[in-house]
Amino acid sequence: MSSSLASRRSTGQPDIATATPPQPTRRPSQSRTRSNLSGWGFATPFLVFFLVFLVWPILYGIYMSLTGKSLTGANDSLIGFANYAEALADADMWRSLGNTFYFTVISTVPLVLVALVMAALLNVGLPAQWLWRLSYFAPYLLASTVVSLFFTWMYNPQLGLINDSLSKIGLPKVAWLNDPNVAMWAIVIATLWWTVGFNFLLYLAAMQNIPVQHYEAASLDGAGAWRQFFSITLPQLTPTTVMIVLLQILASMKIFDQVYQMTAGGPGGSTRPVVQYIFETGFTGYRLGYSAAISYIFFGLIVLVSVMQFAVTRRRSA
Amino acid sequence: MKQFEFFGKQVSRRQLLTGTAALGSVLVAGGLTGCGGNAQASGLRDIGFWHLLSGGDGIKMQAMITSANQANPGFKVHPTVLAWGPPYYTKLAMASAGGRPPEVAIMHASRVPGYAPGGLIDPWDLDLLAEHGVTGDNFAPRIWEKSQQNGKVFSIALDSHPFVMFYNTDIASKAGVLGSNGQLQEVTSPQAFMAMAREMQKVTQAHGLSFGYLGSGSQMWRLFYTLYKQHGADMELIPGQPMKVDRDAAIESLEFMASLFDDTVAAKAGDISTGIAEFARGDSGMLFSGVWELPTLKKAGLPVDAATIPTLYGTPASYADSHSFVLPRQLNVDDAKRRDVYKFVSDVLKGSISWAEAGHIPAYQPVVQSQAYRDLTPQIHYANAADIIAYDPEAWFSGSGSDWQTYFAENVQNVFLGRDKAAAGWDAFERRTNTLLSRPNPV
Repeated sequence: MSSSLASRRSTGQPDIATATPPQPTRRPSQSRTRSNLSGWGFATPFLVFFLVFLVWPILYGIYMSLTGKSLTGANDSLIGFANYAEALADADMWRSLGNTFYFTVISTVPLVLVALVMAALLNVGLPAQWLWRLSYFAPYLLASTVVSLFFTWMYNPQLGLINDSLSKIGLPKVAWLNDPNVAMWAIVIATLWWTVGFNFLLYLAAMQNIPVQHYEAASLDGAGAWRQFFSITLPQLTPTTVMIVLLQILASMKIFDQVYQMTAGGPGGSTRPVVQYIFETGFTGYRLGYSAAISYIFFGLIVLVSVMQFAVTRRRSA
Repeated sequence: MKQFEFFGKQVSRRQLLTGTAALGSVLVAGGLTGCGGNAQASGLRDIGFWHLLSGGDGIKMQAMITSANQANPGFKVHPTVLAWGPPYYTKLAMASAGGRPPEVAIMHASRVPGYAPGGLIDPWDLDLLAEHGVTGDNFAPRIWEKSQQNGKVFSIALDSHPFVMFYNTDIASKAGVLGSNGQLQEVTSPQAFMAMAREMQKVTQAHGLSFGYLGSGSQMWRLFYTLYKQHGADMELIPGQPMKVDRDAAIESLEFMASLFDDTVAAKAGDISTGIAEFARGDSGMLFSGVWELPTLKKAGLPVDAATIPTLYGTPASYADSHSFVLPRQLNVDDAKRRDVYKFVSDVLKGSISWAEAGHIPAYQPVVQSQAYRDLTPQIHYANAADIIAYDPEAWFSGSGSDWQTYFAENVQNVFLGRDKAAAGWDAFERRTNTLLSRPNPV
């Protein structure tokens, strides 16, 4: 075998051919069938989950959005696109979509920038690196309920730590979760504290992969720390930044937990995201068909945003 | 790759069969030990019971369940406590739609119109209930009437829990607003109420009245609907038609509420917990809240008394709801268990003096007429509320903890915060309600 291997290598035949010993008694097509069968065997568990938990619900959801289906089981007849027509004329759906996009915009920018700054600060070589990394990343490990409870207390208008601190330095108290102009920002601050650690970790890993020679060469040419950061670090981080922005936009668009627990969509509906509106119409309002229609409108918008982002990224990298 | 060739081989098939047999025996063993096998072995029938009582009244409910279990060796009631509001009602609706809900559950009477027409709950058999000594005569007419939908009884009320006024007798006495009977003087107009609250504020130096409302649609709605109904006005929600409402009465009620939040009569912006804490600290003389707050206030050691909300617009009325027993629709009804449920419910009703201690007004009249209830203060001082209670207008989307109450808050909170006119807030809520009424009815 080893000699034949050597000879095959010398003739430039791929190694993979050696993995299948010659089987003169069986025809090649039979062998391929068996091999295909084994492949399917391996793939079956995944395929079953994929079909049962992804493909079927997606198809059933589309069907449901075309019916008047209710949680109580009443009226599941087909009604065509009536749900979609109703949703497009529903001011509350547009408002909740607007809230979702507003949150996405005002949360993505700090979640990316703060993560970058944190990673850059740590990358200059502070002592006790593990402690910094742990303290930046640890909040990410907490459950949304814990974070929401924690911030709800901090934001309490009368008893909370934040207002107490504000009044001690002579600033007026803020109705953090009860003022429609402030509530979304309060949620962004909580989300920032909670999740920035993940982006920070991605940035830190990418920064530590930049070859040190680039900085050495730049130093020899007389470039200072700021010049090095803007001319070497940032450009080298571009692929990471693109990925972080993409992941962050998708994560922010799915906002639900912390809003539901901290403000329940209030005050005055000013923080209700579209995912909560979908939940309310379907589960507390019983209208599953209508709720499904809004879900697919939202799904379409997410696809649109992803495609636009992909197009922009491709143009930049081209 | 070889391990995938056993499909066609004798030895592997045996292995497969052995494996299947092993799996089967695990499932059988699991079936015997799970699903109440233990209870069946000892002859006990397990009754599932969902409720949403998690505070002081939750402890009282647990005590009533325990005593019912002790009195009935044939069954054991297992309570499951779920969070009040949408989490509870969502789970109950889904479990009932799937046909595998608990044998009995507590619902607010105001939510029954969203459940009964869709067949999510079964009607009660009055003959079976009568066998346990409970009949329609045992309930106040207003409450018994509320138990029915299309001529059938869908809920058996345990109580009525109105929105009332607690007051601190020390502060009221110092403010000179107590009557000769030791209870708060009667006031019959908004102006007289404001004057009384200001007298109390002079004593506390903080506020006259505590009423936390921020972020709570149900809290805003309770006071609003009390004041609205005191105008003698009605509100009707008929699907397919615009809301029938007395707009002037609604706006007047909102304007009066907004005028309370001037940082003298009441705090400009406070949530429920802040309002209760303020009253418990003695920083106000009165508190508008539900009767269920009584155990908390007694525990705080306050000299507390209570009364119905003063009649400021001529017609005595008080927003209220009832905790009621319902029979969620089972895919397969176990007759023995259902009979146990009737026994359990009748036992709890008869023992509801314990429930009255948690502040609620028992629905079962023999308890209300008992000397033990008459001796309970301050409960007896608001017992008349049972005659003037106003349940939410009926619709599939209305009732305690419903999204509709949230929509109310969304549109009127800015009125109370002084950022919006009462008429604008009301009209926006009316439009929102009309949108709901114009949509297909899902039940």
